[in-house]
Amino acid sequence: MSIFPQGAYGAYGAYGAYGAYGAYSATGAYGAYGAYGKYGAPPESPVLANALISTHDGISGVQLQDLGGVLPGAPNNTKNLPRLSAGVRAAIYQAELGPTVDVTYASECGNPTAVLWRQAVDPADHQILRRDPMVIMSPPDIEQFKKQMTLISNYAQIRPDREAEILTQIEVPMPFYAAIVFIDPARTPYTLELLNAALAFASNAYQRIKYTLAVKRPIELSPQIQPMIPTPTHGALPSGHATEAFIIARLLWKLLLQSNTPQYEDTAHWGEMLMRLASRIATNRTVAGVHYPVDSVAGALLGLTLAQHVYSMCRGGNWWSTSFHGTRFDPHEDFNWHQLYNADGDKMKPFAQSPCEVWMTGEEVKVNAGVAPSPVLSWLWSRALKEWKDIRSKTA
Amino acid sequence: MHSWTTEHSASASTLLDHVTDYRLRLSERQSRVEAKKFWWSVLIELEGVSIDAFAASVTRFDDHLMIPVEYDREDRARKRALQPVTIYARQPLIDSLNQIDNPYHVVSVHLGAITPKETLAFDATPALMDDIVVEPDTVVMAIVDYGIAIAHNLFRRKLMKTRIEHFTSFESEAVEGGHSSVGRALEREEIDRYLVSQTYNQLLDEDMFYQVTGQIDWTSGRGSAVAHEVSHGTHVMGLAAGHAMELGCKNRPIICASLPTWLVADTTGPGMLPCLNLAFHILTKQGRRFRFRNGGYAPVIFNFSFGDTSGPHDGTGIFTRLFEHYFAVDGVREREDQSSWLTLPCGNQNLDRLHAVAGLEPHTRIDLSVLPDDRTPTLVQLWLPNEENGVSSTSADVEVTTPSGQRAAITSLPGQSAALVNDEGIEIGRLACQYEGQATKRILFNLVINPTTHGVDEAPYAPAGTWKIEVRVSNPGEDQMINLWVQRSESLPGIRTGARQAWLNNENYVRYDRFGVPLAVDPKNSECPVKRAGSISGFACGETPIVVAAYSRREAEISLYSAAGPLAERRQPPYVNRLGPDLAAKGDDSYVRRGVLSAGSRSGSLVRLSGTSVAAPQVARAAAKSIKTWDGSARSWAAGAVKHDPFPLRGEKDPTRAGAGGLKTGRYFSRTRSKH
Repeated sequence: MSIFPQGAYGAYGAYGAYGAYGAYSATGAYGAYGAYGKYGAPPESPVLANALISTHDGISGVQLQDLGGVLPGAPNNTKNLPRLSAGVRAAIYQAELGPTVDVTYASECGNPTAVLWRQAVDPADHQILRRDPMVIMSPPDIEQFKKQMTLISNYAQIRPDREAEILTQIEVPMPFYAAIVFIDPARTPYTLELLNAALAFASNAYQRIKYTLAVKRPIELSPQIQPMIPTPTHGALPSGHATEAFIIARLLWKLLLQSNTPQYEDTAHWGEMLMRLASRIATNRTVAGVHYPVDSVAGALLGLTLAQHVYSMCRGGNWWSTSFHGTRFDPHEDFNWHQLYNADGDKMKPFAQSPCEVWMTGEEVKVNAGVAPSPVLSWLWSRALKEWKDIRSKTA
Repeated sequence: MHSWTTEHSASASTLLDHVTDYRLRLSERQSRVEAKKFWWSVLIELEGVSIDAFAASVTRFDDHLMIPVEYDREDRARKRALQPVTIYARQPLIDSLNQIDNPYHVVSVHLGAITPKETLAFDATPALMDDIVVEPDTVVMAIVDYGIAIAHNLFRRKLMKTRIEHFTSFESEAVEGGHSSVGRALEREEIDRYLVSQTYNQLLDEDMFYQVTGQIDWTSGRGSAVAHEVSHGTHVMGLAAGHAMELGCKNRPIICASLPTWLVADTTGPGMLPCLNLAFHILTKQGRRFRFRNGGYAPVIFNFSFGDTSGPHDGTGIFTRLFEHYFAVDGVREREDQSSWLTLPCGNQNLDRLHAVAGLEPHTRIDLSVLPDDRTPTLVQLWLPNEENGVSSTSADVEVTTPSGQRAAITSLPGQSAALVNDEGIEIGRLACQYEGQATKRILFNLVINPTTHGVDEAPYAPAGTWKIEVRVSNPGEDQMINLWVQRSESLPGIRTGARQAWLNNENYVRYDRFGVPLAVDPKNSECPVKRAGSISGFACGETPIVVAAYSRREAEISLYSAAGPLAERRQPPYVNRLGPDLAAKGDDSYVRRGVLSAGSRSGSLVRLSGTSVAAPQVARAAAKSIKTWDGSARSWAAGAVKHDPFPLRGEKDPTRAGAGGLKTGRYFSRTRSKH
């Protein structure tokens, strides 16, 4: 079901929640060699190697003495990026994004809390790292999770309806986004590269938070859930699928909004549809029996927040600091993304509450003076954005 | 090893209804909590007294009785010769009502279903029933079904404006301060408010909409039918009353009621009756709110796309009595001041082997296949020829043999019964004889068999396998016909009941023709007691409703599953003038492409469903074009409609399967016509 060619993106499924973690560098390497396929034989082919040796021996002659004028490479220059393979670029994006966050653990009254820090080198002194909390996340208590089991149990009745979706969304569900906005490897290669980078980045972040919070999966609370797909070994909250679904949705929506293309700017239809899709992907994991609805709440919040962070790293500008207090979440409530975000204007909500208690807060934070966006990521964003601009004839 | 006993209950001979008693006892054995706390829906028939008088006579059971607020002051004061009333009651009261000699003027008791207490509102207050003034071309569409996705765009006239004036969801949790004793009622204004609050950027979040209306509730164990891609009521209502939103249809307002899925899921027939009666009561009253400017009432077309196999099938059963109560001229309408028609499907059980006849021979043996892993009871009814006052000229003995060979036999004397008990002495089956009075006047044998497994508990099971039913009559012949029906009990799509349908068998039953095609009609001169003939739904045997069969368009034949008449014969009036369905409408595009397209559970989606259930609402839609101007009865219109818009069917005419013939309904769905 992948829309990606096997060269650069073939191992896409290796990211994050979808498969073998940490295989990212391997993916990059694979992508680097993928282009050789067009010459008819893989690079490690002994036949080709022998042929290259014999060709060399046959035609190279005596070593030339005068190599002519050669200039040194342009250091730290984004003009190099188009000449790199997609996999190599992907590694560079991670080198840019990865150090911008860190996760720490704290305990409040026995309830674990994960803090995802946004960090940046102080422009005045490169030896100083400035950190600000970007996401503060604590899970509901075990009694709340027990109550959420009822929702999972009842959601199971629509498993037959959702079976195809659930199975095809185990891996990155890009075809579903491609059904809403016109994504295609030939048409939007840099958009895919951007999303790819964001997913790999988000994966590291949520896996670290999941590890920190160590929330047990539904299958560990009851033998009757019987998930219809294997339960991943990592913790439940926040949902990785929700995080990734919402980071993709919001970054795509930001691209559309900035594209200066009328149909994307005039209404929020595309944004709303992208978020509805993200919500459905997240909910499908509850239907499958591997997530509590509240996992999707936390995951969506994380994904939306990280999307803003990635954007800020690409283009500069403000970021959002959010918090999720699981113990204040009404366990009888379902996941409702409208409580977190409004696609119209691409706005996060400042708070969300159950009848009595505020369980989510969010505020916009100004970026520190002197902290510039990453030139590499900025380059990537510009490339991606061009893919969404209308092509207009001169006479128009 | 289990065994039969005739000494199982001191009150067995005094019960009004054995099935009610059996199910109450079964609930006692199955439930972990005290069964006396359960609230049951119950349909009772009061003879010659008002609801007020009935309530006054059972004051010592006040803690066990709730009469829905939907019965207003006028309803409660009215005295009728016979009137069906839905009550919610607990076991002590029901046991007291279910006695032949009860002092409350209750002449029949039909047990419904255990009703979750959170869906009941004991302090509900009556709703304001103000008039709705409508244009002269208005016809109200009334739908009783389950799983109705009311926000589908086919039921809206604008993005945030519904065409539904009233909706009762019996399944939803009751709301404080509401006007509905059971479930939740929504009026147009409230639906519109939810449409507004759940619309974001011009897109309705339907998942959330149904959560705020209470139709989806993942926190309860109750079903959430509209969460499925396909929901029966949405599909049916789409066919009957769906109009493209952009056309802004104003002359087909909708009133509808959604039966609870826990009730529909238990397709053992009687469980549905009380709620069904209340639904018709509510919608009949709602229908009378629609007035023309000249004060006249707007006509109403009802559609109820359900079928069942129980009842005497002669036009006198309780289902028929209910429909006649609401739709016959001498029913609740009393005055002929409002046209009100009802369309019903004739049923899909033609090939299901749920019907048999005995009495033609001195001895008839029929096998009953009871499946293992069936979590709901199996019920079989044997109806003797109708007799005045139970003085039978027909004497019949019914013998039942369990799969392991234990036999019991009783004769056709009301009060006779035998219980099948297990090693612990717990009843796991019952064979009982009772007299059904009123218009029916027939002796009825009930065979009730426990579930063969249970979802959670170690409950007493009945044995699965082949049960043998043997009927012996002293003077066999055509006029001694005994009809036998197995009640429907199967899991509907998307509903997890664990029900598995038992069926009848006999060595003479021929399923296929020589080419391997299923036989839709019993072979001529067949000696098999298991019959396709007479498989018509027990709901569809009355004089008044338009009963609809299904045809397959490409083959131009009545669909194989479409159930057939004739009705069971009667020796005394009332006689019903009906051979079977009145007409047929499209149930399938072809044998391969089964079903017809209509609304799915979410706006913009279309899905396929097959059956007489989807044929009936197409006729309802067509009838709405004519009800205002047609001078005759609903059924006479149906016969005329076939002549006007015929869909020719191949082969010889068979009124027991096709009625007057096929109706072409396509033109009623055209875009331009949908304005009207």
